[in-house]
Amino acid sequence: MRYAGWLKKNLFAVVLVAAALVDPLILRTSFLRHLSIMVLIWATLGTAWNMLVGYAGQVSLGHGLFFGIGAYTTTLLFVKIGVPPSIGILAGPILAATVAYLMGLPLFRLSGFYFSIATIASAEIGWILFTNWDWAGGARGLFVPLKGDSLVHLQFTTKVPYYYLALLLFGLSVYAAHRLASSRAGYYFRAIRDDPEAAVSLGINIRKFKAVAYTFSAAITALAGGFYANYVLYIDPDSMMAAKFSTQICLLTVLGGVGDMWGPLIGASVLIPLSETTRVFLSGRGRAVDLLVYGSLIVAFAVFQPKGLIGLTRDVLTRARRAMAPATAAIATVEKPPSAPQDTGQGGMI
Amino acid sequence: MRNRFAMCLLVAVLVFTLTLTACGPAAAPPAEKKPATPAPAPEVKIGAMYPLSGPQAPTGLDLKNGVELATEIINGEYPDLNMPLAKTKGLPNLNNAKLTVVYGDHQAAPEKGMSEAERLYTEAKVVGIVGCYNSGVTATASQVAERLGKPFLNPDSVSPSLITRGFKWFFRLTPDDKMFTENMFKFLEDLATKKNQKVSTIAILNENTLWGQDFAAVAEQMAKAKGYKVVEHIVYPANTSEVTAEVQKLKRANPDVILQASYVSDSILFIKTFKEQGYTPKGLLANAAGAVDVAFVKTLGKDAEYVITRSVWSEDLLKVRPVANTVNEMYKKKYGTNMNENSARSFTGTIVLADAINRAKSTDPEAIKKAILETTMSGDQLVLAWDGVKFDPSNGQNTLGRAIMVQIQGGKYVTVWPFEVKAADLIWPLPAWTKR
Amino acid sequence: MDFAGGAQVLLGGLLTGCIYALVAVGLSLIWGLMGLINFAHGDFLMIGMYTSFWAWALFRIDPLFGLPLTGALLFVWGVLVYYGIVRRVLTAQRIAQVFATFGLGLALRSAAQFLWTPNYRMVDNPILGGVIRVGSVSLGKAHLVGGLTAYLLALGLYYMIVKTDIGRALSATSADKETAELMGIDTDKVFALGWGLGSACVGVGGALLASYYYIYPDVGLMFSTIASTIVALGGFGSIPGALVAALIVGVVQTSVSFFLAPALKLAMVYLFYLIVVVCRPQGLMGRW
Repeated sequence: MRYAGWLKKNLFAVVLVAAALVDPLILRTSFLRHLSIMVLIWATLGTAWNMLVGYAGQVSLGHGLFFGIGAYTTTLLFVKIGVPPSIGILAGPILAATVAYLMGLPLFRLSGFYFSIATIASAEIGWILFTNWDWAGGARGLFVPLKGDSLVHLQFTTKVPYYYLALLLFGLSVYAAHRLASSRAGYYFRAIRDDPEAAVSLGINIRKFKAVAYTFSAAITALAGGFYANYVLYIDPDSMMAAKFSTQICLLTVLGGVGDMWGPLIGASVLIPLSETTRVFLSGRGRAVDLLVYGSLIVAFAVFQPKGLIGLTRDVLTRARRAMAPATAAIATVEKPPSAPQDTGQGGMI
Repeated sequence: MRNRFAMCLLVAVLVFTLTLTACGPAAAPPAEKKPATPAPAPEVKIGAMYPLSGPQAPTGLDLKNGVELATEIINGEYPDLNMPLAKTKGLPNLNNAKLTVVYGDHQAAPEKGMSEAERLYTEAKVVGIVGCYNSGVTATASQVAERLGKPFLNPDSVSPSLITRGFKWFFRLTPDDKMFTENMFKFLEDLATKKNQKVSTIAILNENTLWGQDFAAVAEQMAKAKGYKVVEHIVYPANTSEVTAEVQKLKRANPDVILQASYVSDSILFIKTFKEQGYTPKGLLANAAGAVDVAFVKTLGKDAEYVITRSVWSEDLLKVRPVANTVNEMYKKKYGTNMNENSARSFTGTIVLADAINRAKSTDPEAIKKAILETTMSGDQLVLAWDGVKFDPSNGQNTLGRAIMVQIQGGKYVTVWPFEVKAADLIWPLPAWTKR
Repeated sequence: MDFAGGAQVLLGGLLTGCIYALVAVGLSLIWGLMGLINFAHGDFLMIGMYTSFWAWALFRIDPLFGLPLTGALLFVWGVLVYYGIVRRVLTAQRIAQVFATFGLGLALRSAAQFLWTPNYRMVDNPILGGVIRVGSVSLGKAHLVGGLTAYLLALGLYYMIVKTDIGRALSATSADKETAELMGIDTDKVFALGWGLGSACVGVGGALLASYYYIYPDVGLMFSTIASTIVALGGFGSIPGALVAALIVGVVQTSVSFFLAPALKLAMVYLFYLIVVVCRPQGLMGRW
């Protein structure tokens, strides 16, 4: 039976989707649903970021810039001109993609750390500009006018519709990432990532493809930003373009497993509730114990399990499989090819 | 295979989203709006949200201490204290129920504020929240309150935009920066008419976060409306490493008075740089924050002298208001320092909310809201330099708050304005550095 | 044209740049040596500042005299970090390296807040108090001495790398690790030394800053970003590049504040970096 085979192979994915769909029915308080929504938003951001790192091999530490562009575009269009967010939300990705493309052109000449610092620099410039731009609210931020329940304005009075929209958003990002990976561009990305010099010698225009990855990455990040603005209903530069924001995107992706499709989701599912829990239980005394735990965990993972949680899970699963069926495993192990970027020596990947 | 899977996922999600969005509100579980129980409870829970970690933690701790002390007084018996709920144990109208505070740390991030408010109202089941100090966080947290229909009492956020949203569940104790700035200009007027010191040129100096920008906008508008000349408006990035150029510009403009909005580290840096570059502002009027922080005088010592700041609390208040003195003594005993305008405001917020719950005789949100609107407290029951507490029903703002101007003299903050209630003479203009 | 103001601004910028130089030079050393950016560098600065502060608060040692102590402590600290954390991630992916130091920075800041509270600290009445006036330009003594000392130390480090045997071992390892090993250089010890020296530099920078700057757990963050920008601006692996870039950044910062708007001072620094790096992808004086 074809479907039985298909089910077995994709069991993980199917269970995941099922769980995601019934989540609001299990988690019934507003707070837990809020957590679910935030997990999905961050998973989307991680997936988008993954496109750049996993496919183009460049580490952006300033992705908050695009998130901010998305949030601000949607909100400004609504507040200043009256464009309903359901339409306005599409403008953000277009603008962000343009900015990313224009930035990518000169910046992809840079190797590794230079590029990363350039992304930090750009995000900081964006933050400073928005903080001092009175028309866009400056540091005081922008309030999104309350419209009650309105699909046109992407606003609802309960969390459930927001949850499913966030799920849709995440689904879109995964789909886009998947399509990009299995398309022609995807093959070129892997070539570029694994051996840039060979890729160049084959005539692949590295910069063009990196720019493509960057554009997609920025667009999805901006889309998430637009959604966020209509969820929290208040935006300011600090919440989205400060360095802390950009680094959190990287953090959870690394934690989950860079370059892997499900890495961001795993990372977000662990990191967001973890940071909430540590904050709720440990931070009351003003002594930052929660951040201490957080930081130490990151170091521990970086040192002992750089492949992230996904790598950890795979290792455990592989070992379990080998222990249970040594003979067949040796022949029929359908191991997923290692999708984490390889270290190509100094100045190679970063 | 993988393509098909992706398509299925997308379709499934789309179908679900559309179905549920169409019947959105109906799908809300009834558990969210719990019917109120007017039966007496052994304990009543309120929430308190403040920045308890991160760079604003020192202020957050001050604010938390205020709430803690208020709770102690409410739950204990203090027959000599002329303040609501002090003489009795707990909340007398609710069978002496104990007041319990559930603290939330929002780390000065609006999104975390939203999260904490959700958690406090829906998981911890508090009947009201006191908070959040940072205006951006108060904005999102009170949105949650408005949506859930629960009381939100804000003792200490000064952004003017908070009361323009038409919210029904949001109440604010503190005057906002618009009112404070009016006070400041009234002071300048009095300076001209009663002390013969005419001020005609103003410089505005503010850090570029939400608070600084709010203040600057109001100050600039008011200055122009009242006919002052704004000779310099310097906006600088908070927590900067040096202010060489900023001070040079001020020196060049030489205003009659500088209106400053800075947090503590920048306030200190500016005074030090003023001294270093040999520039004495003729008048320095600070919008509290940095200038009222404990670290300001402690670090600068004599260099902090003669700085004037608006305040809602001062040490000489202790001499004219017995209530303030008693409470301050308790605070000093418990935490080792005097109160300041932050702990005083959060303290008052807790008392006001608890008092309203008590008068409502129930934990029903509507009853509490009604009770808050009926609040009348007189100035002598407060630890703040206000005339009392009375909320404007149209926007939830306390109309009886005001600011006084205090000046640092001999290392202490002494009231210098209004001139009728001054504790010491105002020293203006500021003496040059070399003459101190 | 306000010459006095302009001169003040220029000098202020140079002095700020000198402190940046000391911080950046340590970072450049580590980066050039093993291709690893230390995202916790600013937090090492913070540790240096707190060390000086506590030496003063508890034992009345002025930050200036406490300089050698702070330098030594931070040297040891750098070596410990190398053996404890960095060595283990050298063979891992680049991303793991980035996050090892990033997480370390976060943990350090939180530990500082935990141990010493987030309250701002300042050294009162340091020996380097007071002001020197030259014409209509005033310079805080602490600023002046701090800046000059910082720059001299940074130059000294460069001299050491170029002229001494140990320094040349550092250079060699940084240029080509495998060959250096073949030549008999114990690269492991060299890396540890590099970390120690880099940390000592930034620690001394912290001690110099402690005389006049306010100290709090997150103080290193801003310096981290600026230092990384300076090192990249100067060029990967080039210490003279870092020295020059630091001065430029300091002057850009104060000039923009004076002639344009203080709110934009850092924006222009970052913009300057972007422009330079786009025109010269290897930075001002970088190797590649």
